[in-house]
Amino acid sequence: MNRTAWHEHEWQLIHAGAQSPSMHMALDEVLTTEVASGRRKPTLRVWEWASPAVVIGRHQSLRNEVDSDAARRHGIEVVRRISGGGAMFIEPGNTITYSICAPMSLVAGLSFQESYQLMDSWVIDALAVLGIHASYQPLNDITSPAGKIAGAAQTRRGGAVLHHVTMAYDIDSTKMLEVLRIGREKLSDKGTLSAAKRVDPLRSQTGLPRETIIKRMIETFRLKHGLSDDRLGAEELALAEQLAGQKFSSPEWTAAVP
Amino acid sequence: MHGEYKIPGGKLVVADLNVVDARLTDVRISGDFFIEPDSALDVIDAALQGLPADASHEALTLAIEAALDAEVTLYGITPGGVAMAVRRAIDGATP
Repeated sequence: MNRTAWHEHEWQLIHAGAQSPSMHMALDEVLTTEVASGRRKPTLRVWEWASPAVVIGRHQSLRNEVDSDAARRHGIEVVRRISGGGAMFIEPGNTITYSICAPMSLVAGLSFQESYQLMDSWVIDALAVLGIHASYQPLNDITSPAGKIAGAAQTRRGGAVLHHVTMAYDIDSTKMLEVLRIGREKLSDKGTLSAAKRVDPLRSQTGLPRETIIKRMIETFRLKHGLSDDRLGAEELALAEQLAGQKFSSPEWTAAVP
Repeated sequence: MHGEYKIPGGKLVVADLNVVDARLTDVRISGDFFIEPDSALDVIDAALQGLPADASHEALTLAIEAALDAEVTLYGITPGGVAMAVRRAIDGATP
């Protein structure tokens, strides 16, 4: 397979209203499958969260990662996504999340590390425009001299790659540490046991409202790669609603690794 | 039994398992790593089931390597890292 460049694709933007955590999990699966089949053009989807969530990685143990009682107490839904990687603590106004669903040709011949770097490159530029000196940090982080900004995860479905990123806009770390179990072993090669990877969110780094940052990010993508406004199709929406209800809300999936 | 190992430069690998009649059983590997296709993690779990509890780190590594097809891609996880988490679970090096 020959590698394609970003500008060889007709990128579509989906930035819909707020949706539930399980619906976001489902949309990632549906849109990636649609891009794989060629029914949908390559897509940038910016998420809006309707409610707080903990999103755990495909291979994480639910029990090891999440204090379910604390999550319930705070009204936080726990969902499992289709990509690997670590748990994320989401509160609607505190997070900027987006997905890129691209044909495999965009990353053809690249190592996983190279494909993360490639898929993150536009957002490094977008952050530079916002005055932040950010860089890709292997394996899957975006970081700045002041601290970690974002984490990415990828998975592949047939002919498409899904690359989704969660960026910290603001963070209630007290609540996060109540809900997520962050073990000592995880921190063992970070040189510190006193705190999780130091996160420095976009709010303190830019002083800008969340909506403004999202708008500027979309502008940067549009300028670099081209981007047309699109919306979810009726069939895509119906498929995602079905998956959200049957798969992503089910204990069988969420506790797939108990 | 539970063991964890943070692979230097990689991700956290967690092993949960039991030992019955000196053999590994109910082996479940988890963590924040990436595996394509994702079903390959079941292959790793299966490769460890029934192995002797005194199998060396090297023997565990070889059993995992032998079970994985060439097209499986691991990112942030290695057979040796999984073997380390399994040994720690058996030896009780992590609570």
